[in-house]
Amino acid sequence: MWKAQDNHLRTKMQTTKKERFIGLIDEHKKIIYKIVNSYCANPADRKDLEQEIIIQLWDAFDKYNPEFKYSTWMYRIALNTAISYYRKEKKWHTKTDSFDNATIFHLRTEETEHREQMNKKVEMLQHFIQSLNELNKALMLLYLEEKSHSEIAEILGISKTNVATKIGRIKLKLKNEFLKNLNYETE
Amino acid sequence: MKPNELNEILSAYDAKLDRILSLNSASIQKINLQKTKKKTQTVLIFRSIEVVTFSALLLFLGSYIANHWFSTHLAVSGGILFVFTLIALIGSIGQVTLLNQIDYSKPVVEIRKKIERVNAHVLLFVKLLFLSGPVWWAYSLVAIDVFLDTDLYVHLDPDFVQRYLIINGVLIFPLLWFLNKLSFKNLHLKWVRTIISWVTGTKTQQALTSLKQIEEFEN
Repeated sequence: MWKAQDNHLRTKMQTTKKERFIGLIDEHKKIIYKIVNSYCANPADRKDLEQEIIIQLWDAFDKYNPEFKYSTWMYRIALNTAISYYRKEKKWHTKTDSFDNATIFHLRTEETEHREQMNKKVEMLQHFIQSLNELNKALMLLYLEEKSHSEIAEILGISKTNVATKIGRIKLKLKNEFLKNLNYETE
Repeated sequence: MKPNELNEILSAYDAKLDRILSLNSASIQKINLQKTKKKTQTVLIFRSIEVVTFSALLLFLGSYIANHWFSTHLAVSGGILFVFTLIALIGSIGQVTLLNQIDYSKPVVEIRKKIERVNAHVLLFVKLLFLSGPVWWAYSLVAIDVFLDTDLYVHLDPDFVQRYLIINGVLIFPLLWFLNKLSFKNLHLKWVRTIISWVTGTKTQQALTSLKQIEEFEN
């Protein structure tokens, strides 16, 4: 009797935890979506990485430190997972028994339509981000999310001055890239 | 590119994502989150086996040295093996510590460094292997004594032993210089890259390249 009640309570707590977790993912879904798209060019890899990030977030959910914002915590986990995945360190990957082919993030419009609607400059920007090395990519993503220098420093684990210097360099590179591409189009 | 143009592009993209992006929560429900099995555990098990093996070997060598204390050549040979095993044990304990510290909610650079150090672990064994070159006789003397109960040293020509010790003694210093060069800090040198890739394989070289990138990123 007691055991049954205990199990029922445990299941209920787990359900509530999962619901809270899903709510949190929903609230910050753009973070994961953007990271996945920046680190994986291949749609199949994207699905795997989405799953991988969700699993890592779930594993760390109980250990969340309220000293940090949820977004900072999520960025750290998602970026660390994405870089590990990007580096093809299969041994760091978690393993699940089964998972269907559905993606975790869903675009309400068709992918092709979305691509057509997408501003050319956004595509150019995404292409540029994908060309950066894994750590600069993380830095740029955070910068583009309008994170403050101190938050970027906190997520990445480098100094604020270093963040500012690196952003300056990447922006200059980005500016040249844009100019080159735009000139090429108008020629 | 105007100063605000980048921000405009991004807010447009952000707004678009707000409209079209939704979470497929049914998919998350289907993932068996409770049953995920971290593969880091497998790496941890391997490293822990290393720690146990090296510890057992150290105990054995310790007792070997004690038992052969009065046969100087055997005690010295055992001592040399003891030192190499101790270095390997320290390396493996370091790995177990690193693996236990890997927590994805910590800063990205810190975690990347730890992961790449774990991935570059093979280099330590390669260095130890190279370093043991001039003292390989220690392995032979101890192994033949332990497994065949024969003291090889008494059958060796003293002149040969002397020449051998001098040549290998002289070799130790260039070898130490060479091994010190085999580090991610020297990957800009082509010969270092080639040797590392040749002796450790692609995976270790990738890890070392990443360590170099991390160092550059930090500075």
